[in-house]
Amino acid sequence: MCTGLTRTACPLRLIALCILLSHAAAYFGLTGREPLVFLPGPFANEPPNGKAHLKQCEQMTLTRRQKRLCRREPGLAETLRESVRLSLLECRYQFRNERWNCSMDGRGSLLKRGFKETAFLLAVSSAALSHALAKACSSGRMERCTCDDSPGLQHREAWQWGVCGDNLKYSTKFLKKFLGQKRVSKDLRAQIDSHNINVGIRAVKSGLKTTCKCHGVSGSCAVRTCWKQLSPFQDTGHLLKYRYDTAVRVHSVTNSATGETELASPRRHSNTVPRPRPTELVFLEESPSFCRPSRYSPGTAGRPCSKDTSCSSLCCGRGYNTALHLTTLSCHCQVRWCCHVECQTCLREEEVYTCKKH
Amino acid sequence: MVKLKLMCSVSVAVTFSACFIVLVDANSWWSLAMNPLLIPEAYIIGGQPLCSQLTGLSTGQRKLCQLYQDHMQFIGAGAQTGISECQHQFSQRRWNCSTVDNSSVFGRVLYTGSRETAFTFAISAAGVVNAVSRACREGELSSCGCSRAARPKDLPRDWLWGGCGDNINYGYRFSKEFVDAREREKTFAKGSVESARLLMNLHNNEAGRRIASDLAHVSCKCHGVSGSCSLKTCWLQLADFRRVGDALKEKYDSAAAMKLNSRGKLVQVHSKFNSPTSNDLVYIEPSPDYCVRNKTTGSLGTQGRLCNKTSEGMDGCALMCCGRGYDQYKVQLVERCHCKFHWCCYVRCKRCSRTVDQFVCK
Repeated sequence: MCTGLTRTACPLRLIALCILLSHAAAYFGLTGREPLVFLPGPFANEPPNGKAHLKQCEQMTLTRRQKRLCRREPGLAETLRESVRLSLLECRYQFRNERWNCSMDGRGSLLKRGFKETAFLLAVSSAALSHALAKACSSGRMERCTCDDSPGLQHREAWQWGVCGDNLKYSTKFLKKFLGQKRVSKDLRAQIDSHNINVGIRAVKSGLKTTCKCHGVSGSCAVRTCWKQLSPFQDTGHLLKYRYDTAVRVHSVTNSATGETELASPRRHSNTVPRPRPTELVFLEESPSFCRPSRYSPGTAGRPCSKDTSCSSLCCGRGYNTALHLTTLSCHCQVRWCCHVECQTCLREEEVYTCKKH
Repeated sequence: MVKLKLMCSVSVAVTFSACFIVLVDANSWWSLAMNPLLIPEAYIIGGQPLCSQLTGLSTGQRKLCQLYQDHMQFIGAGAQTGISECQHQFSQRRWNCSTVDNSSVFGRVLYTGSRETAFTFAISAAGVVNAVSRACREGELSSCGCSRAARPKDLPRDWLWGGCGDNINYGYRFSKEFVDAREREKTFAKGSVESARLLMNLHNNEAGRRIASDLAHVSCKCHGVSGSCSLKTCWLQLADFRRVGDALKEKYDSAAAMKLNSRGKLVQVHSKFNSPTSNDLVYIEPSPDYCVRNKTTGSLGTQGRLCNKTSEGMDGCALMCCGRGYDQYKVQLVERCHCKFHWCCYVRCKRCSRTVDQFVCK
């Protein structure tokens, strides 16, 4: 899905994608109709100069406007990479016990349909991007933004004491420009995608907490500095997984007052306006069961599971195979003065259960 | 009654890929469960005519019937227990252990050596162990009595060992003689499909019997002064059959796929997995597709089955209906409610009816 006005550039990106398809990390479709892929780093060997990010920006599948933004800001390419890695890890972690485990196969076809999984992918990618941007600002990796400078929290004093709040305000503003969300077309799919992206950004915003540090006379709280800090991304991922579980199915209706098409969810008891809430994920159609290999997922054959809890649901009734695995781990660890820890390696046999194929 | 039929094997896990002729028996001793033998006294009077009237027994089983006429009623009861436990364990899956008719009981489904077949054989053997052991304890059989099992070593010294426990030893041995009689009286060529199926049936019967006897536990009763536990008598008791069913269901989930090796023995298809012990179930062919009705494999299909709309497991509408979709019906459920105890001594309930949604697969 090309968010914005770049439908003409999509076929070109398809060609670029075919060349880049063999590589590991991929983005979830925020920047183009296909997943964004990265080339692994030949950049490490290049001499560190300010021009390295230009090459990175060129090689990612971005729209023309996004490439321009990328070129202007040197730290953005690295931040994009970081956010891809973050969203991939978080998605895999949250879905580790489900039949669809956020694997790379079938990601492209999944993004073309309007399943609950697509909604989650978009939300987690946008959340990861805003999280990474805010952290990059506060870590000083970006040139155009610094610490959080919202009024009312005495941030100059905070900076004096060595604390830098995460700049979520800049991150949200930049994302709006980057994703081109000002123009929301009448297409139902585009509306749903933009709604889900906003859910992701809101999830990060809701995790913003004010932390304070006391440094008065002998550590008392007579003098305090406070700053805003983002919660760890795992909490945001957990929240988005909860939203995925409570997602609502929508269809399109025409608002008789304004004449525009809007999203509407069928099951509302007493509300007059049946619109989905801005914190709910929305989807168009019911997902397939990901039990068998299909073009959306490789199926659950061979997935490791745990005998008492997840095997019955993961293996879809096919049963599981048991194998003995020899694992090495450190044991009998002791502290030696001074100051390292010495451990022995123990061999342990444990049973590993994998789902049967048929 | 023996039917000759041509059956093409389409399974991938098995090494044979050609069409072969299989001798299968249309009836089996499970038919004892379907035609309940209601007149136990009739066996005391020269059982020969009655044994020959029982359909589904092989020659060896018929001889055993004539020797142990009073056991037949309990074999039927044991098979019935096994079948109802099987239906309970599989009630939420596509194949729900349904019985087809009174002679072949399960139909052609058990002609394939699948995991479901393994479970059925095991649980019926376990049912026979259960029924015969209990019958011995209750004194219904003339050739056995209370359990003479040895006192377990870990029992505290003050407790008495005695009472009248279920005679599991006798039940195990009798079940082994009777149920395996059909398999043992035939010999097949080494390396043929029938020999693989024979080995598989013997292994699964043994697994069922072993699990039934392994789950037996020590049960005690206090009978000291005014019911205190100063005096305690213990005995060996069979486990509740539901627990045997649960244990066998777990074995069904972890059953091992086997094939025949060159020497005519069953070995694992994938050698990297754990080998099955005598308590595990084995199977030689993958299960047929239970989604659609198929006369050859004997599957009844899932059309018309009830499904649970909110469940994510095998009884959820997505998996049970195999993607065909479901119809929704409103059904009136009449049940008893507002029950009150009246002195003395009866309970009177009202009848409430409520409308529930039922989902039926297309």
